[in-house]
Amino acid sequence: MNWRKLISWGDGYPFAVGAVLLASLVFLPFRGLLQATGFMLLYVPVIIAVARLSGARQSATAAVLAFAALDLLFVPPYYRLTVGSLPEWIGLIVFLIVALVSGQQTGHLKQREQAALQRQRELELLNRLSFRVASEKSPHATAEFIVSQVAEVLCVARAALYAGFSAGGTPGRLAETGDAKVASGEAALVSWVLRTSKAVGLPPSEGVPYEQRLVSVAAEEAIPGLVTDGVYLPLQTASSLEGVLVAIPVPERPLSADDGRLLAAVANLAASSLERQRLEEEASHTEALREADRLKTTLVSSVSHELKTPLAAATARVTGLVEEGEGADPERIHAELAEVADDLERLNSSIGDLLDLSRLESDAWEPHLEEYDVRDILGTVLARLPASERERIVFSIADDLSSVRVDFAQMARAITHLVENALAYSPKTSRVTIGADARRRGVAIWVEDRGAGIPDAEKDRIFEKFYRGDASASAPAGTGLGLPIAREIVRSNGGELRVEEAVPHGARFVILLDASALEGR
Amino acid sequence: MSDVGAPQRAGRVLVIDDEEQIRRALKSVLQARHYEVDLAETAEEGLELTAERTPDIIVLDLTLPGMSGLEACRRLREWYHGPILILSVRNADDDKIAALDLGADDYLTKPFSTGELLARIRALLRRTAGIDASATEVRSGDLCVDFARRVVTVGGEPVKLTRTEFDILAYLAHNAGRVVTSHQLLENVWGPEYVGDTKTLRVHVSHLRHKIETGDVPRHVLTEPGVGFRFAELE
Repeated sequence: MNWRKLISWGDGYPFAVGAVLLASLVFLPFRGLLQATGFMLLYVPVIIAVARLSGARQSATAAVLAFAALDLLFVPPYYRLTVGSLPEWIGLIVFLIVALVSGQQTGHLKQREQAALQRQRELELLNRLSFRVASEKSPHATAEFIVSQVAEVLCVARAALYAGFSAGGTPGRLAETGDAKVASGEAALVSWVLRTSKAVGLPPSEGVPYEQRLVSVAAEEAIPGLVTDGVYLPLQTASSLEGVLVAIPVPERPLSADDGRLLAAVANLAASSLERQRLEEEASHTEALREADRLKTTLVSSVSHELKTPLAAATARVTGLVEEGEGADPERIHAELAEVADDLERLNSSIGDLLDLSRLESDAWEPHLEEYDVRDILGTVLARLPASERERIVFSIADDLSSVRVDFAQMARAITHLVENALAYSPKTSRVTIGADARRRGVAIWVEDRGAGIPDAEKDRIFEKFYRGDASASAPAGTGLGLPIAREIVRSNGGELRVEEAVPHGARFVILLDASALEGR
Repeated sequence: MSDVGAPQRAGRVLVIDDEEQIRRALKSVLQARHYEVDLAETAEEGLELTAERTPDIIVLDLTLPGMSGLEACRRLREWYHGPILILSVRNADDDKIAALDLGADDYLTKPFSTGELLARIRALLRRTAGIDASATEVRSGDLCVDFARRVVTVGGEPVKLTRTEFDILAYLAHNAGRVVTSHQLLENVWGPEYVGDTKTLRVHVSHLRHKIETGDVPRHVLTEPGVGFRFAELE
């Protein structure tokens, strides 16, 4: 049996009456042993107990009832309201006064105690909330925490928080708690609060006023015909409306003015926290956009430069020849056209590189992995180089090489980029070595040149798009996409591309294909 | 190996391409080399011209409006026996392989140089003209393949090949400079029932390379990724 429920049933009055009746029944058998004054003393603790458990008013009822019981049952003549002697009258009157006063005192004490307890819980709640909302990063988690705390501390049937509609959409319920279903008219009231920034259903302030800007109206005023005891608070900051906090109390415990003030404080905290999170998100989004914009600008300017330069050169030469007409020297025409062919070749390779990179970056160029002999791939790489460049290539391939599991065409393209890069960045008379050897965890394919090498500071940057090295003024023409493409290809084939220093000088690019790239499926 | 050659008729070429600029460029380049050139803008027109003019070789673009180049290739192969050279765009490997399997003889990726185009056309015409088919030997670099005596030498030294290895090499050498699909190799060396067994083919090619390739990397038999192999014509 639930004592608390039994005591508070009917506002505690049935309990007060019952307590006095029960006490009377218990005392009655001892009527012969004590005088009436003795029974008066015995009733006082009962009155105090009622005051303690139910409250001052209930104890007053109990006092009056005990007065009647004493008169009827314990002061002769029994079962009559008349009293035999004056002293007994005085005794009864004194009892009534004592009972009433001690009941009142106890009742008030209890009230104050309860109020103090409530204050303490509210303070703890605000304390917890302020710490949590200051550190919380996700609006959802913040909302969850707030509604769970409100439900717990205010013992409400339902608490909910609506937010995330700053963009102008319909209110989204961010978090809710409690067993109660969504109150009827809740959506309408939430929309109304959002529209007007006014609170709905806040209890009367009883002395200490609410914050000035917090205007509250009855539910019926907001939506005619709607009756609810719920409280709907706007989550208002100085500059924006972040959402709505809803608290629906249980019928036995309507919300007090203190509860209202607590809810208003919670709403303030929630509002500032949600605003902070929203602004942070907006800021990071803006930052990301700005970065993307910057990259796009770089890309567009580099791309247009790469495409326009050879085109402009070719156009200039060809229009020059057209201009000259038939008088042009055939030898010069031939020389000019050879240059034009070079320009067009460069234009073609730039376009090809851009296409490759965009396909790699959008995952539209998936590798078809199969097992191949490394020598086979290197043979194709060699065959694709211009005959004049082939003479600069030497090989250093280990005998005990296992086959690799790669996309042949992609890997050949990646190695070709590395070889072209090595040829371009080293003296025309120097050799470029293509090597392959077994490593502890797989196979390494490397390309080594005898150029100036790559300064440590640039080792990461060379894999960035359009990066051409610090000495770019003297750097050979190229898209600056070869290395990024090679790295992307190697990565999508499950390997790793790194750059090392060659001995005695120069750069060595190493493609590491680990065991997983060697094993079958 | 001279491009210009004698001023007489070098051959009749049909170019099927929907791009006006490409048609005009190919026409002037080929006519300068004494080829007779017919131009078609669509696959349908190309089929008609093939019947009408019986070209010695067809240069066919794969990306055509209306009937696709692939479909044109399939229909041409029903009755046209001359070589078909495919023009494909970069990164359209699947179409390229499909066309080769439908009976196209080789491919070029746009954009290509005139040198490449002429080399491919020459290689294809040479084969159909029966010159290479009746040739008793093919030389490329230090390698010599003697078809009649079934003897292969590297740097003058005879190399012992198995029957299958020799057949593979002979088929590739007969088609020197031209791509040969795995499909074609399997069909011609092993027989139609072996088509699809690329793994066996790769093993044999690997053994063949071991015996004929003297350098660090293969130079004679090159892999055409996803397609097959090509016998390189070295100086």
